[in-house]
Amino acid sequence: MNISKIRIVALDEILRGVKSKHVWFFSSALAFICILAMHYSTSLAFLFSDSGKIPFTYISFMIILIIGPFFILVTAFDSISNEVEKGTVRYIISKIDRASFMLGKFCSLFLIFAVLTFIVAIMGQVYTYSSGNAFDLERMILFWLFSSLYLGCFISIFIFVSTLSKNNKIAFTMSAILLGITIYFFMQGGNEYLRYLTPPYYAFAVSGTMKNTTGEIDYFNMIRNLVSMLLFIVATLSIDILTFKRRDL
Amino acid sequence: MAAAISIKGLYKKYGPRYVLDNLSFDVEKGSIYGFLGQNGAGKTTTIKILSGLSIPDEGQIIIDNMDLSAEADNIKNILGLVPQDSEFYDERTALSQMNYFASLKGLSKSEAQEVSNLLLERVGLQSEMTKKVGSFSHGMKKRLSIAQALLNDPKILILDEPTNGLDPVGVRQVKQIIQECNENGITILVSSHNLLEVQEICTHIGILKNGKLITEGTIEEIRRLESNGVITVGIYNISPEIVDLVENMDYVVKTKIKENNILEIYVNSEVDVKPELNKLIVENGGQVFKLIENSLSLEDAYLNATGMKE
Repeated sequence: MNISKIRIVALDEILRGVKSKHVWFFSSALAFICILAMHYSTSLAFLFSDSGKIPFTYISFMIILIIGPFFILVTAFDSISNEVEKGTVRYIISKIDRASFMLGKFCSLFLIFAVLTFIVAIMGQVYTYSSGNAFDLERMILFWLFSSLYLGCFISIFIFVSTLSKNNKIAFTMSAILLGITIYFFMQGGNEYLRYLTPPYYAFAVSGTMKNTTGEIDYFNMIRNLVSMLLFIVATLSIDILTFKRRDL
Repeated sequence: MAAAISIKGLYKKYGPRYVLDNLSFDVEKGSIYGFLGQNGAGKTTTIKILSGLSIPDEGQIIIDNMDLSAEADNIKNILGLVPQDSEFYDERTALSQMNYFASLKGLSKSEAQEVSNLLLERVGLQSEMTKKVGSFSHGMKKRLSIAQALLNDPKILILDEPTNGLDPVGVRQVKQIIQECNENGITILVSSHNLLEVQEICTHIGILKNGKLITEGTIEEIRRLESNGVITVGIYNISPEIVDLVENMDYVVKTKIKENNILEIYVNSEVDVKPELNKLIVENGGQVFKLIENSLSLEDAYLNATGMKE
């Protein structure tokens, strides 16, 4: 693994890469939907169980939690399979190691979505301030960290599927099925251990903090879930790399 | 001469089928090694393994005194690959594509720009370097593929069917580039179906069949080996004594007297035995008027070796 090569691959993907327009379009769309929801928050209050004043950060957090994975699906499903299908990966892997290439791909997608969730976080604070409330820097940072890591978990999952797939069609189908399975596992009963394998479990566990803007922040719960998501990403990426290293290109 | 590439006991299996079955061969430094074989013989698989795109099930590969299993990253620095039927990013220009690959090879931005310009000029794409690769013809893409393989001055260049699908002008250009690279000291391994082209540019060839190397050597050696070693000698005063003497030579398998004082000698030798035979016949009173070794074309030799000749 070589940090400078990871940086080159990631920067190329972000700035000039083959999929940049596609990725930027969907990630911007996600950010736009969040901002739109915050703008029309009063009209959306009926969606939440306790109608009344819904914090802007909570609205955008829920949107990212619910529809974010679908946006990640459409941007990440072909990240590796497309290169394998076209053969471009052969030029790259004949020059750098597979782990650097894989991590470069992950970093590019993660950075794009991290920047966009940061913009959404800032916009949330702007709406909060404009509605007469004080800035809440702590929740803004927590929102950004949890949203980015939550989306990062899905990026690593879809990269894994993309690594295994022979072509884009298979990659998309398998990614959609896996997303369905993840949602199914998450929707299982309260003590079902399979929930622990899903990123939404860790993200929804902190949604109360985003909603309750006046209460104390349970930092222990925050850190535990944050570390869990980080471990989830590290474990999935390790599996991604091992899978990619065994794959014939 | 030292080997630039040394492969020993290479195995690769896809499902139940062995694509490479105990493959072993050496590519000498500074040579152009032609890798021949039918479709599915294992040429591309071997090339993929050498360039790190595929993982062997078993076997040892030494490239420039480095073991591929232990020093893959160092090997990538001295190796250039022209893969078969691989696409580029269509929406990028040739120059931007080259700059990206150059930066992956560890060149700085300014170095990448300079080297990319030079290489695109070398492969004749200087006027096309700012055009998008999507608008390139197959031949232009092949030349771009060669240019990217030459980034960072590789010691070894591996080309998988480099002239496949090219028009005659494209074939000539690619051959010229390969020969120039070899003149600059680059060892070249090239797989091809085109025997004429192999005959023209390669110094050594290896013929692969069902994942096994069935024969290898210089083109002359292959021709000789596959021509069954038949030497035709014309002797004016041919006698049973001369025939007996010839038959008693170690490397002579059998002889056959033909019409018009022609003696056909079947030999089993990898070295040229014509001078020795000539000396023997002359010293024993024979007057030799013709002495020819039946040499096959590379195509015949290839067909013989692969068992495809009717």
